Amino acid sequence: MSNLPDWISGAGNPPDIDPQAMVAAASPEVIARGDDEMVLSMGPQHPSTHGVLQVVLGIDGEEVTHAEPEIGYLHTGIEKSAENLFWNQALTVIDRMDYLGPITNDFAFCLAVEKLLGITDRIPRRAQQIRVLMSELTRITSHCIWLGTHAIDLGAISPFFYAVDLRENILDLIEAASGARMNPTYFRVGGINGDLPDGFLERLDELIAKFPGRMRDLRDLLQQNPIWTDREIGVGVISAEDAVAWGLTGPSLRASGIAYDLRKAYPYSTYDEYEFDVPTRTEGDSYARFLVRLDEMEESMRIIRQVRKKLEPGPVMVDDPSIALPPKPSIAVSMESLIHHFKLVSEGFRVPPGDVYAAVEGPRGEIGYYVVSNGDNRPWRVRTRPASFYNLQALKKIAAGNLIADVVVMIGSLDPVFGEVDR
Amino acid sequence: MGDRSRHTVSTAVDPTAVRPPIHDVDEIVRTTPGELRDVLQRLKAEGYAQLTDLGAADYLSREPRFDVVYHLTALPTRVADVAGVGRPKRARVLCGVDDGVPVPTVCDLWPNANWPEREVFDLFGISFSGHPDLRRIQMPADWEGYPLRKDYPLRGPARDRTPRPPFANKENVPSRVPPTGEVAELLRMEILERMRDTGSNEGES
Repeated sequence: MSNLPDWISGAGNPPDIDPQAMVAAASPEVIARGDDEMVLSMGPQHPSTHGVLQVVLGIDGEEVTHAEPEIGYLHTGIEKSAENLFWNQALTVIDRMDYLGPITNDFAFCLAVEKLLGITDRIPRRAQQIRVLMSELTRITSHCIWLGTHAIDLGAISPFFYAVDLRENILDLIEAASGARMNPTYFRVGGINGDLPDGFLERLDELIAKFPGRMRDLRDLLQQNPIWTDREIGVGVISAEDAVAWGLTGPSLRASGIAYDLRKAYPYSTYDEYEFDVPTRTEGDSYARFLVRLDEMEESMRIIRQVRKKLEPGPVMVDDPSIALPPKPSIAVSMESLIHHFKLVSEGFRVPPGDVYAAVEGPRGEIGYYVVSNGDNRPWRVRTRPASFYNLQALKKIAAGNLIADVVVMIGSLDPVFGEVDR
Repeated sequence: MGDRSRHTVSTAVDPTAVRPPIHDVDEIVRTTPGELRDVLQRLKAEGYAQLTDLGAADYLSREPRFDVVYHLTALPTRVADVAGVGRPKRARVLCGVDDGVPVPTVCDLWPNANWPEREVFDLFGISFSGHPDLRRIQMPADWEGYPLRKDYPLRGPARDRTPRPPFANKENVPSRVPPTGEVAELLRMEILERMRDTGSNEGES
């Protein structure tokens, strides 16, 4: 008790204090304060901003009057790095852009380079099917993390464990195929790194059997939950026209009623051979985006089941020694293979000059690569079309008029990944 | 390393001019900053409702030096199912621009041009006239130089400005070769100091 100042026990007067200064000292997140309005900084270390996002919010009471996301805290110059690596080496950094959907990044980049090389039609069918299989698995893993973190932001802890458990099962499969869980770099220009390992399809069957029950759990936990629906319905509404104008793609665009899916619109690899629907809602709010993503996970599993049935035996790399490495065992017995291997690894391969744009449907929307080659063994320019960069920008449009607490809901429902936003 | 420096100042100037016929988009338009807005307004009126991407490329020794690249997609602007969307047309607009010449903004045509234009400004140093909020977006506000330019070194000036101990400089520690001379002496002193510190701590406890 002796440590307390005297005025607390009634002896003497408290010292003069400036309440304004006290508030300023206690809350550095307040940037400016007017009579009615306050400018508040949310992030960049706020737990609900999914990484390092700062949102500068203008608030009037509890209501948001404007929101300006500030990005760039995770900028790592991946495009610049890719320009200084060989074509296949560039995949390692491109993998790390959207770290929740790395395989779809590689997919788009490989498609672009293959177009420049003119080998699009020569990619073996098995490689194309495995590419589809892997991208759909990645889509589910990405949506699992989105669902888990989005639910935690809103105070629901349990869905995270169910979602991450499902994600772990899939990551085990990705690890079995590629050797790495998070940034597999499984694809190569011209095909994939290696065929599926023994026992992969049996483990895939286990996953296929487990999946419907796990999806039912996730739906039961949230979909009809009154707290969840109260927080989600009518929050962050964007109309179809605005969604297109603000460059939204992927689930965020489809929740506004436009069934634009690159897998249907410009079928690449073997997507035109599978039956699947494009989940669409017309409400355009956070709940619609939530439902679209849940439905999408089930459609992905539908595609996976079809790929599993149709998977054909055969090579997984294009038959072109100027691009594909020789089979690893042959290096030990053949001098020519060793030289071939050494040349490709130390010098890479050259790509004819030209520019090309190729895009795939990633978990967050359209991931595109505008690639320019000047005929060298390194790309001249690698421009990414980052899906979450454009999706997140729309927060400026949808945040005004909502409550501060709903900003977290809107960020979560737009599902940004900052490795991709900042690159 | 010689190979890398040659790559940085390569003279193969305009890969897009020797482009083989790859049908990745339906329409390719080449334009200048003066005509850019007319071209884009015409394309928007033709139904290209979405600015899918806006980026740039630096060709260093070409005239004009940069290309600002617009990718447009003809999406419907009202609720549409898969058949209603169909196979939307795509267009690419390449706007050649020289260093120091501003490009007119398209933020009023497509609101999502705001961030990518800032990014092109930030990383290439191409300015956009009429942009409502043109400031750096990815790099820190006080950064010098434009990192995605081809004459910007991979290890930028900021790296040289950052104070670091001599033994952390890469030139002083060739890979897998044990350090010698002054560097070795510094390392040895640091290790000794650390040993002394831990020794005295242990003595106290």
